[in-house]
Amino acid sequence: MEFYTTALGSVLTLWPLVAMIGATLLGVFIGALPGLNPVMAIALLLPLTYSMDPLVALGMVAGIYNGSMYGGAIPAILLRIPGTPASIATTFDGFPMADKGEAAKALKIACWSSAVGGIASAIALMTVGPLLARVTLFFGPAEYFWIAVFGMASVGVMVGSDPVKGILAAVLGLLVGTIGIDNLSGQARYTFDQTWLLGGLDLIVVLVGLYALPPVLQLAEKCDLKGLSAAQLRLTNVPFRPGEIRGLVPTWLRSSGIGIGVGILPGAGGNIAAFLSYNAARNASDEPESFGRGNPQGVAAAECGNNADNAASMIPALSLGIPGNVVAALVLSALTIHGLQPGPQLFHQNPVLVGGFMMEMLITSLLIFLLGGAVATRVFAQFQRMPGVLLVPSILILMSVGVYVINGRPVDLWVMLLVGIAGYFLEKVNVPLAPIILGMILGPMAEQSVRRALLISRGDATELLTRPLSATLAIATLLVLAWPILKALRHRRAAAEP
Amino acid sequence: MDRRQDIVTGLIFMGLGIGAAWMAASYSGASGLYPMVLSVILTGLGALVALQAVRAGASSERTLVDAPAHWVTAVAAAAVYTALIVPLGFYTASFLLMLALPMALGFRRARYALSVAVIFMGLIFLVFTVLLEKPLPRELLPALVGAGG
Repeated sequence: MEFYTTALGSVLTLWPLVAMIGATLLGVFIGALPGLNPVMAIALLLPLTYSMDPLVALGMVAGIYNGSMYGGAIPAILLRIPGTPASIATTFDGFPMADKGEAAKALKIACWSSAVGGIASAIALMTVGPLLARVTLFFGPAEYFWIAVFGMASVGVMVGSDPVKGILAAVLGLLVGTIGIDNLSGQARYTFDQTWLLGGLDLIVVLVGLYALPPVLQLAEKCDLKGLSAAQLRLTNVPFRPGEIRGLVPTWLRSSGIGIGVGILPGAGGNIAAFLSYNAARNASDEPESFGRGNPQGVAAAECGNNADNAASMIPALSLGIPGNVVAALVLSALTIHGLQPGPQLFHQNPVLVGGFMMEMLITSLLIFLLGGAVATRVFAQFQRMPGVLLVPSILILMSVGVYVINGRPVDLWVMLLVGIAGYFLEKVNVPLAPIILGMILGPMAEQSVRRALLISRGDATELLTRPLSATLAIATLLVLAWPILKALRHRRAAAEP
Repeated sequence: MDRRQDIVTGLIFMGLGIGAAWMAASYSGASGLYPMVLSVILTGLGALVALQAVRAGASSERTLVDAPAHWVTAVAAAAVYTALIVPLGFYTASFLLMLALPMALGFRRARYALSVAVIFMGLIFLVFTVLLEKPLPRELLPALVGAGG
């Protein structure tokens, strides 16, 4: 408890509060603009946080994350265009509600449900995270190695449609992570005699390229020259009926549980949480046929589910060093920027910072209640009147300035551009991008841990498997890798049966 | 279409893996072993992707670029912009991009584009130069005007 009291004292100061309020508003705005997403926004934000206090930087990350997950509901409800992938399920009942003239009510339900899901998720993070971190006190180099491998294997297998391509992406990230001077031996690897490569590829440069350029190119391809008309964004206020809010409580409880469960699983994201919550709400309903025709429960389930995934995805990231999704990987990057090593030691070495970030996830969820109401929603909806084609150069400029200020090197801009183009094509051929970043983050930890373990055991590789904890993690990794093979075999057997 | 793309993807990753393994062979001791293992795995996975695609019977439609003309315009503009940031200066190059790229993509409301460019660049100046005091590539125009005067 003292842990959180100290953290709360650090968070409730001027700049972290300003950062959280500003970033939550910015997050709603980003989520409301189709084509922009929280991952892109946080990737663009990270270079700016170099000189900031870590709690201010993390407060901005928390605000953008929670705000944008709600903001995605605005175009999903008004236009049937999901602002973020996590708000696809919101379109099912949100748009039919808007069609019936209940857009304002649907947005209000989405706002409240997002806030409830976010708060439940933050509470789960604050209770489960520290407990899980205690387990890591028993970890040695072999366990750290397996934790890193397990994280990459599970994200590689679960993200995307093809597990082979997911693992391939993770290995590519690991290999990219070896570029530069080897910390243990001083050997320069894959530097092609270029001095700027001696320090390796900057994670943020790669991150901005991979996550910001592909959506920009897609925006250019769509070439929206007009934006939306004022008539498309007209909101008519429809008040809640007596007992209507109380009727949403069971849906909020159920969806929060589902979202938290999905969030803890590495690789599963907010879109899966939203779909599962939506299906659960329909199955539990007395009138399942009303879903898809403007049932408020459908909006509540989807929005509560996708926001309940947010803070929960930080549980494995903060306690074990395994990001549950790309945003969690970005949070780990933010910590790396501030000289903190992501992984199990983080909790023990920087309790105020970790506790503070958890508090910020909670506070920014509460801020959605206050800031995401009808007025802000109406204001942000109006931004959709801006032609999408004007966003293309704006984002390119933001990317460039963000990347340039990291090292002041023009070569980083070219790296960003090339990596971004590569990312665009990798996504097109279904090679997921998240495992590449995860490989770059966890690669150094994996390599140093395995080499330390081998040094301690004087080259005996069985040391990696003989301790009970490391053996358990190795078996878990094997199971994760074997899962898609078993699934494919089962499918084949089912298809062969008459 | 997706079958052929997957074969090419697999082959590219195989090539990357073989190249990386060849370079790793020249690194001494443990610092070479780790990238060597990764390179071999990458080669194997690349081969697996290509093999899966070869064995897959049907091939479905999957376009790599949905609107090639717009895509090429955006990439070319980004490349020219990157090349001009240092010689012209950050703000000049960015302002030109804000005006030229929408026009090149077919946007014809010049006054609207100009207003957005002025407001956006003003915000960038406020945040990066005034508030954060970040050093950005120097502007060529003031230097030229100064030299001329």
